[in-house]
Amino acid sequence: MKIIRNEKQQHTENQAPERKFSGLTFLPVFLTAVSILFTVLMAGYILWFYKGSFQEETAGETYDRYYMMITREGKSVFWQSVYQGAYERALQENVYVDWLGNDRFQDYSVEEQMEIAIASGVDGIIVTASEEEAMTALIDRADMAGIPVVTLYGDNTQSARCSFVGVGSYNLGREYGRQALRIMRERLAGSADRPIRVTLLVNSYANSLDQNILYSGIQETIEQERGETAVELSLQSVDDTNAFSVEESVRDIFMGQEIPDILICLNELNTTCAYQAVVDYNKVGTVSILGHYVSDTILNAIDRSVIYATVDIDTAQMGAFCIDALQEYHDLGYTSQYFTADISLITKENVDEYLRGEELEYDE
Amino acid sequence: MTNKLRDFSLQFKISSIYIVTNILVVMVNIFLIIGINSMSGRLDMVYQDNRHLNQFSDAVNALQSNMTDYLNVKTSDSLENYYRSESLCRNMASELNEEVTGQSFDRMERNIRHMTEGYLAEVAQTIEAKRGRNVEKYRFHYENATRMYDYICTYISNLNMEQFRSNSERYSELQKRFRLFEIVSVIAIVLVMFSNVCIIIGFVGALIRPLKKLAGQADEVAKGNFEIELLPVESQDEVGVVTGAFNSMVVSIGRYIERIRESMEAERALKERELLMEGHLKDARLKYLQAQINPHFLFNTLNAGAQLAMMEGADRTYDYIQKVAQFYRYNMKKSEETVTVADEVEMVDSYIYILNVRFAGDIHYEKHIDGSLLHTEMPGMILQPIVENCVNHGIREMGDRGVIRLSLYEKDGQVCISVKDNGVGMSAETIEKVLSGTYRDEDMASGGNGVGMDNVISRMRLFTGNEHVMTLKSEGEGMGTEVCLCLERYDREHKRNGGAAGEVSEGEKT
Repeated sequence: MKIIRNEKQQHTENQAPERKFSGLTFLPVFLTAVSILFTVLMAGYILWFYKGSFQEETAGETYDRYYMMITREGKSVFWQSVYQGAYERALQENVYVDWLGNDRFQDYSVEEQMEIAIASGVDGIIVTASEEEAMTALIDRADMAGIPVVTLYGDNTQSARCSFVGVGSYNLGREYGRQALRIMRERLAGSADRPIRVTLLVNSYANSLDQNILYSGIQETIEQERGETAVELSLQSVDDTNAFSVEESVRDIFMGQEIPDILICLNELNTTCAYQAVVDYNKVGTVSILGHYVSDTILNAIDRSVIYATVDIDTAQMGAFCIDALQEYHDLGYTSQYFTADISLITKENVDEYLRGEELEYDE
Repeated sequence: MTNKLRDFSLQFKISSIYIVTNILVVMVNIFLIIGINSMSGRLDMVYQDNRHLNQFSDAVNALQSNMTDYLNVKTSDSLENYYRSESLCRNMASELNEEVTGQSFDRMERNIRHMTEGYLAEVAQTIEAKRGRNVEKYRFHYENATRMYDYICTYISNLNMEQFRSNSERYSELQKRFRLFEIVSVIAIVLVMFSNVCIIIGFVGALIRPLKKLAGQADEVAKGNFEIELLPVESQDEVGVVTGAFNSMVVSIGRYIERIRESMEAERALKERELLMEGHLKDARLKYLQAQINPHFLFNTLNAGAQLAMMEGADRTYDYIQKVAQFYRYNMKKSEETVTVADEVEMVDSYIYILNVRFAGDIHYEKHIDGSLLHTEMPGMILQPIVENCVNHGIREMGDRGVIRLSLYEKDGQVCISVKDNGVGMSAETIEKVLSGTYRDEDMASGGNGVGMDNVISRMRLFTGNEHVMTLKSEGEGMGTEVCLCLERYDREHKRNGGAAGEVSEGEKT
């Protein structure tokens, strides 16, 4: 009997340890698996770490061509917008365009920057030229070196530049003339005891054809449509040869005896300086400003009626034209001599659209 | 899989655990070392670009100053220096990047490279013009070269600054990563250590557990408890083998103990029987000795009487004395050993003869003997006490009507000895009492030569090992009594007695 009982016990107990054993071995096996997994993860992490630090160096694709843009003023919104237009268009064409005067070579003159660009062996140069001989020589030198040059905004007609991209100066002059006449009609109708003084701020370098064309555009428009009104149109040169000298020159005008009634500015910087000077010398209402290009400051000034109107140039289009001209020249060997960017007028009537547009852009 | 794992040796298992844990630690360490190496390599390389650029800048500077030097003094030494620095500068420029990429560094490098090429050409022309003593030309080229040198320097310093700024950012970024890496490393090492400890504890525990159980069971066995549960053999390693061996050892020991106990019990029973036999025999002899008068003196006296009777020619007296002497001699001699049925029958003959002489032939004695059964062995001093009982209790009061019938026959393979009288008979209760040994009667206990019925019954039972060796039959009061003894046949008797003698002698030895 005893033996039978024992056997039964053994039989029932034989199964229990089997279960127990598998339970006991599970834990260490599980732990091993976990730590091996952990080690693998660790290895993966380190590899990721290793690879990640490699990848950051090899970014950047190569481009087919390399153009360089040289401008007279570095930091204005106008030129930044032009560069942005050129840059975006260039990327579409797998071309890279650098703006030499942006920050690194501000201290160098346009001519020196031209030299650098030529020496750098770029595939094309976009330059704000002048009619100076030195510039002509440089452009010719670049052309000799096989580098096509597009003049932007300021032309050098004597040189071997392949194309000029700018605004139609005559049309621009006529537009300014029309706006000046409008101001005369709206604001200066009663004060006819003396001739209305219209002053055109020209940059000292701009002893150029463009400004002359523009000036004659204004002159012709006013002559044709002034009627009985006596108008005294004058040129006021602004010294832009040194840093900060523009602001001083503009203020000098207001320090003088004969303060103009209408001040026509031909670039963004002049416009901003003139606006600030009008405010500072308390001439709001007496001096009307016709500005150039669009910035937040200028738009706000129009909104407050300090600046009467400004001419907006499609800068992105201007930049894109430069790239198009160079690409065309490279591909075909010739290109159009002139590219004209669209202009539009901003006055108090339509300034809201622009302000809203700016806001929308910021929102985005 | 698990079964296979279980079957590896203990050494292999333990070694594997330590090897696996160590491999884990080593692997983690290797990864950490790789990581740290790459990190420190990266840190070293951060300012590599700046160093390279500075070297290039130095080379350009050297070239410019060597050129100026040559223009100043025009020595062959300075020319040699110029050539050396010119080729160095050219080589270094050729290593600069030429692709136009989205990276401003790359583009600047490209521009520097191109400008350097132009500068080198300009310088070469300057030197050429100087050697040709063309003052105007070398002045012109020198000015050009110097201007370009100026541009290059500006470019390099710009690039250097920009690279330095970006490298500094990268350096601090790398340093942050390095800190992160350190934290991760510490966590990794701690985790691996912790998991290793768990693995070792878990596995070693699993390995040792059966051993612990085995130790517990062994302890139980050491305390003398063989009624333990047998441990299951979980693996084929050393522990499994020891467990198996332990199990079979426990089972064998149990069985062995059982066998020893059985054989001891058998031996004890045998010894008990032996002792009982001896005790009864001794009892019988004691009683006999108590009853006898110095037997040798009696024999000699009887013998002398017999010789006297023979000399006087009294043959019947001679026979009588002779029979009496024979009777007592038999009592003396044969009562201690096994005798044959023939001896016993002869003894009964003598006894009856003596009685008939004493009581003048009152007892009718009949014998029906199968001669072939006379050699059957049986204990001595059996038949005579039975016959004596028959005479004393059965037919004493009957005078000359008393008949005693002794039969020896074979029945169912057994040798039967029947002693029958026609005396007073016995009641069933008396028969029962006599057979169970509880009947106490003065005459019966010490009749004749002093050997009682209970003694006879006990000895017969011991001799044959059969409780029912002797049967008493009586038809009732006055109907006589039959005592019947059943013995094994001679040949069987012989064998059995031989075996029993062997066992006894063996028992005596131990």
